[in-house]
Amino acid sequence: MESLRGAFSDASESDNPLLALLRPPYLFMLPLTLLLLFMFVGPMVAIVLFSIQTGNSISLDPAMWTLANYEEIISGMLGGSGIYGKVMANTVVISAITTATTLVFSYPAAYALARKIKRYKLVFLLMLIIPLFTSVNIRVFGWALFLVQNGVLDSIVGLFGVTDYPSMMYQRWTIILGTTYVYMPFMLFPIYLSLLSIEDTTFEAAADLGANKLTMFRKILLPLSMPGIIIGSLFVFVLSLGADVEAQILGGGSVFTMASNINYSFGYSQNWPLGSAQAVGLLLITLVAGVIILRTIDLREIASRGGER
Amino acid sequence: MSTKQTSPLVAKLKAGSWYAYVALVALFFILPLLSLVIASFYDGRFFSIVDYEFTLHWYEAALNSGSIRSAFDNTVRIAVPVTIISTIIGTGGAIAYTRHEFPYQDKFKLLALLPIFFPLILLGLGMSMWASVVGLGYGILPAIVGELVWISPIVMFVVSITALGVDPNVEEAARDLGADSVTLYTKVVLPLIKDGVVSGGIFAFVLAWNNYYIVSYLSGVQSTITTWIHGRMTQGFTPVVPAVASLIFYVSLLLVVGAVIFEFREEAKNN
Repeated sequence: MESLRGAFSDASESDNPLLALLRPPYLFMLPLTLLLLFMFVGPMVAIVLFSIQTGNSISLDPAMWTLANYEEIISGMLGGSGIYGKVMANTVVISAITTATTLVFSYPAAYALARKIKRYKLVFLLMLIIPLFTSVNIRVFGWALFLVQNGVLDSIVGLFGVTDYPSMMYQRWTIILGTTYVYMPFMLFPIYLSLLSIEDTTFEAAADLGANKLTMFRKILLPLSMPGIIIGSLFVFVLSLGADVEAQILGGGSVFTMASNINYSFGYSQNWPLGSAQAVGLLLITLVAGVIILRTIDLREIASRGGER
Repeated sequence: MSTKQTSPLVAKLKAGSWYAYVALVALFFILPLLSLVIASFYDGRFFSIVDYEFTLHWYEAALNSGSIRSAFDNTVRIAVPVTIISTIIGTGGAIAYTRHEFPYQDKFKLLALLPIFFPLILLGLGMSMWASVVGLGYGILPAIVGELVWISPIVMFVVSITALGVDPNVEEAARDLGADSVTLYTKVVLPLIKDGVVSGGIFAFVLAWNNYYIVSYLSGVQSTITTWIHGRMTQGFTPVVPAVASLIFYVSLLLVVGAVIFEFREEAKNN
């Protein structure tokens, strides 16, 4: 690597630094960096700026800025007036339950895939990957077709003579089913990758030293898979904070979430500053979680594990 | 070796229960997609597994509808440029990050991969306001730029994984043998990471093909397949929707299965 850098610096030292941008590696990273500065950093700054405006346009004059939107949201949350407190509570509860259920159901599956399943592994992995590459709309719609009255589930349980049961759609737990379904891959795959790296000999050594199953789980499996659990949990929690289609289609408007409320402010009531002020909270949580995830992920490690599959 | 001896029957049962559990999870994962396909071939109002009335009518209706065709055209007009551009600039980012050392390398990785972790609704909303502020407007082009922000980092991630597996000394060796920059990248580096680029490109297309949130905020009056489906879904059940959604799903299915088998075949060859 050192001499590679040497080869490039030979050429770039004599020229002005702007020309260095036209050489590797800067030439290669320039398009992506420019794109992200323009269409990723820009929009996120726009959310923050809009949250302190009085109307649907941006004024860069600080004298025109206002904190009224934040006041409305926070006083509404504290005083219990309006829907902000309820929406916030709903969203956090849904996200927390989603994180917990995806963790509980993913862990054994990730463990089995990483250590127990040898035959048909590719088929199983394919079945778990495919939903990730299908529009969230289509998957949620599929659940609606399954759960709705006179739907697929109806006709299956009807075979067993069950015809009268409470409606499955438009409940709080239906939304949680939707978010659990949509975000479970984001829990399963990080844990799967972290479990892949544990050597069989580690368990054999532990067994020889007299460790029982529970000790092995607590002292070996859990600590070594902790990065996967942390990454997965952050991923699922943040993504389900932004869940909108799930609440809209499966919840049918019975439960308002932060995302649907933000969406409402933008779409229906055309109040960009109020919507932005609500989005800033989500933005901050996402930013912190994203940075933690990226600092935890070691691409080199993932690359070396890929070969062991 | 474990000192405890278990009977072969118990061992078999244990192994079987792991398989059963993973099979259950896999079934859960494909259940809604299965429901969708079952519904798309069904002729009638109320589902019945027993007397299932098979029809291709809804597919026919989907393929003959003008509004569905134009939504389909728009989806292609967004997904194809997004695939090409994101594959190029994502690969560029991956080569820069994995095959070079430069100042602020970690900061670059942070910026470049951060969009992957953002809820799409947040990206969509911000971009929608931004497009109005900077005069980018709404339509096919803004939708392409918007999707690039989310998809190029994913391509970079996929290509980086492959590029990190390549011997770090190849560039040096090529230099020693007298390769200039153009030869180095086109004849040495790119062929070595080709598999990652192909998978990254396929994933880019499938993600652009299925994208809903970003497109719904940026495409303006133009409807794509996913926004069309969403519009119909919220208006109550129309039997043609499962057929349209299934068509989108079949394309994704073929490409993802293709990509995974391609990866697996290469891996099998290498081992």
